[in-house]
Amino acid sequence: MRRNARSRVELLQGTLDLLILRTLLAGPAHGHAVAKYIQRTSEDLLQVETGSLYPALHRLEAKGWIAASWELSEKGKRARFYRLTPLGRKQLGAERSKWGAFVRAVTLILNPVDQEVR
Amino acid sequence: MNSFFRKLLWLTERSDKRAELRQELQFHLEEEAEDLQVHGLAEDEARWAARREFGNVSLIEEATREEWGWKRSEQLARDAVFGLRQIRRNPGFSAIAIATLALGIGGITAMFSAFDAVLIRPLPYTDADRLVMIWENMGKTDVASKHQPTPAEWIEWRRLNTVFTDLASSQPGDATLSGDGEPEQLPARKVTWTFWSVLGVQPMLGRAFTEDEDNKSVRVAVISYGLWQRRFGGSPDIVGRKISLNDEPYEVVGVMPRRFYFMPSPEIDIWMPAAFPPWMRTNFTWHDAQIVARLKSGMTLERARQSMAALSLQVTAKDFRGPHSVFVNPLREEIAGRTQTALILLLWASVALLLIACVNLANLLLSRGVARDREVAVRAALGAGRGRLVAQFLTESLVLGGFGTVAGLALAVPAMRFLERLVPEAMNTVWLTLDWRVLTFSAGAAIAATLIFGLAPALRVSRLAPQDELRKAGRGTASARSHWFQHSLVIVETALAVVLLTCGGLLFETFRHLRNTDLGMRSERLLTFETPLFRYEDFDRRVAFINAELEKVRAIPGVISAGSINLIPFTNFAHATFYRLEGQPQPGDDAIPGQVALVRNVSRGYFATVGARLREGRFFSTSDRKSDSPAAIVNEPFADRHFAGQSPLGRRFKFGELGEKGHWYTIIGVVKPIRESGVLDEAKPAVYRVYEQCDQVGDLRAGIVIRTAVEPASIVSAVRQAIWSVDKNQPVARIQTMEEIVDRQLSTPTESTALLAAFAVLALLLASVGLYGVLSYAVTHRTHEIGVRMALGATSKEILLSFSKRGLALTLTGLAIGLVVAAFAARSMATLLYGFRPDYPATVAVVSLILLAVAALASFVPARRASCVDPAIALRNE
Repeated sequence: MRRNARSRVELLQGTLDLLILRTLLAGPAHGHAVAKYIQRTSEDLLQVETGSLYPALHRLEAKGWIAASWELSEKGKRARFYRLTPLGRKQLGAERSKWGAFVRAVTLILNPVDQEVR
Repeated sequence: MNSFFRKLLWLTERSDKRAELRQELQFHLEEEAEDLQVHGLAEDEARWAARREFGNVSLIEEATREEWGWKRSEQLARDAVFGLRQIRRNPGFSAIAIATLALGIGGITAMFSAFDAVLIRPLPYTDADRLVMIWENMGKTDVASKHQPTPAEWIEWRRLNTVFTDLASSQPGDATLSGDGEPEQLPARKVTWTFWSVLGVQPMLGRAFTEDEDNKSVRVAVISYGLWQRRFGGSPDIVGRKISLNDEPYEVVGVMPRRFYFMPSPEIDIWMPAAFPPWMRTNFTWHDAQIVARLKSGMTLERARQSMAALSLQVTAKDFRGPHSVFVNPLREEIAGRTQTALILLLWASVALLLIACVNLANLLLSRGVARDREVAVRAALGAGRGRLVAQFLTESLVLGGFGTVAGLALAVPAMRFLERLVPEAMNTVWLTLDWRVLTFSAGAAIAATLIFGLAPALRVSRLAPQDELRKAGRGTASARSHWFQHSLVIVETALAVVLLTCGGLLFETFRHLRNTDLGMRSERLLTFETPLFRYEDFDRRVAFINAELEKVRAIPGVISAGSINLIPFTNFAHATFYRLEGQPQPGDDAIPGQVALVRNVSRGYFATVGARLREGRFFSTSDRKSDSPAAIVNEPFADRHFAGQSPLGRRFKFGELGEKGHWYTIIGVVKPIRESGVLDEAKPAVYRVYEQCDQVGDLRAGIVIRTAVEPASIVSAVRQAIWSVDKNQPVARIQTMEEIVDRQLSTPTESTALLAAFAVLALLLASVGLYGVLSYAVTHRTHEIGVRMALGATSKEILLSFSKRGLALTLTGLAIGLVVAAFAARSMATLLYGFRPDYPATVAVVSLILLAVAALASFVPARRASCVDPAIALRNE
């Protein structure tokens, strides 16, 4: 049930960080799980490239927004699990409202009020 | 934990992190493969599909690692290692580059340390910037326009000025310390009680003396730290102790801090109350004070000068010499003296040398950079960005710069030992060291230098078009564009070398002139010392003592003759007096305004002992005894001033000064000038009289000169014993040879000349190396072109000429620019020429000839190589 590449949406620059933070809000997860969660939750519209995912995870870790530790996965294998830090939680809030504002702004432009009236 | 520290922590576990990352990505691949298997793919197929989906693992690894933030430092380290390898691979090139830079950095570091010590570092007084010294400006008299003021002026200025918080006066007052141990003559000053508050320095032990003690002439003294340690073993109970100074008991009330010193010399050991006698308080002719004053806060030097000039005119309105103005000079300028100009000049010279070194290095690197064009092209083709290439070249330059700086610092240390001798005499001994100020400065200089010489080659690289370079396949042709920059560099360094050579030449001329100055005497094997005379109150006993000590000294084996003069020649500009010639109109006093002569009192054997030369007449003889018609010998400047073209013998004059009986002195001889006030000062009119015929004005001391047949130093202890056999409490002070006196006075010109000459020679050397480098590089680079030209019929002579011409053109351009700059530079160093006017055109001619000769050699060698190119080999060589 995989959508073909054509119908996928390109990730907007900078939104990957937000998505990762939001994903980890649900609890610790390893890289593969994060990618799958984003893909599944977006109904396969968003496909996270591993080439962007891992640099992003390590970048967030360097910023101190998420922390990593080696733990056993549900299948009993050693995996690097990421979880949200308090700093990351705060950052998620900020990014979220920024995103909200952005969406509102774009929507306003795409569907101007006066047009609707007419 | 902020992100910087986190990265730092990661840095320590770098290899672990790499392995972990690989594991993490591996886990992802496995998970993906398992997922695909769940969707029904076979195990192998699933693994391949996962792999395909994943993309380039090592690329992802690299992208992720970049997020760790080590990229820059890793690149830097790699470039630095590469730079080190370049140094090892080209030892010749690297040695020249490092040595060049070391000379530049070493020179500027050493010069800055001296400059800092003498001209920047705070003097040991509170707010030393507000301290000034005040001198009388006797512009019209010809002895010296800068005169010491009188104590009476100190009193008036202090009462009436509006620009100073206070003023202090200090007068000479050498003191003999006796009692325990050998009697010792100590340099001392008589200072007013305001001395300490003006300088803002208090004794470290005890106290300074008070206004009351000064006014009442109480016998108290403040001693130096050095004397306290040397003579009293640093004993803490020195304060309150009585010591015997000039046979009077003085109470020590304080000890000054170790670092304290003040004009005129850092050797002063004792400060006593000025205790002006009543007559001195109103006498405007007693010029022996040095006056230091503290500017009120917010007062500018300019306003103080105007205000004091006006005040002085008012104070001296009724002076018989006419009203005159004053000089107000910053204390720092007074202490540094001529050394200031020398240091500024030398610092600029070292900047020029460093610039030349940089230009040279830039040229070398540019030449080498061209040779590395292919390497750069390959790197660029493989994906190195411009920024990356510039960074790489700059890092290589930095590595070179680092080595050069370290080598330069190693060079600077011995240079500092030499520079310590350049420190002015009025200043405490300084030890120049590589302290943090100097190190900071040289680090800054090194970075600036690296940027100067490293930037041009690095930027050049960034403009390179790789495809052209690779297509060229090593076939070099001359492109005008790439050469104009190198050529202008050669011109710049040649011009700088010309400036240094010209200044050095002028200083050298002056130095030769000073060295060859006729001293008016034979200075070799002449021992001098002083004996104070305070122990003999009346005049006749003083003369008797002098004769007795001369008698004893003459008996020492190895002594040829001995004589006495009140002030040892070359050491003192004091004792100048007004006089009136017979027949000159007589104003109120016996003095003619502006007509001043130095007065010296001598023993009969003095002139013969020092080897003075007579122009006409005779020296003093035993027939010149105490009489009412005394004789005088004048020097040539005196004779020329009044009797040009005729003989002054038999003419008479009298002194117009206090205490003189007003005898008429008859001129019996004219002596060739001896520069009484200093080797570097033009001889001034002077009058000599014999002790027995002097009036009763007391000399404070007698200078003794001894002509020896043996090494003068070998008879010093015999001389001391001889003096003590006349009077066991008599100190023998300032024992030195005449040659030492002369050498010390010539040391500033000697050392600054030597340094500037060294800088100039190095500059010439570097500039010629630069020229040689550029031309020989051009030859190498254009071997192919030369081969073609020769194959087409150009003779080797034509090739030789074309290369030589280019070298000559560069040199001549540099010479022309350099001479223009040198003309300005020469004007700024006027004070270092001591009034001497070196032959400027001759100096310029010599400098130009030397430069052209060196440049001809530097361009001939590569040009000759070009002319020897064998076209067959050059063309085959592809």
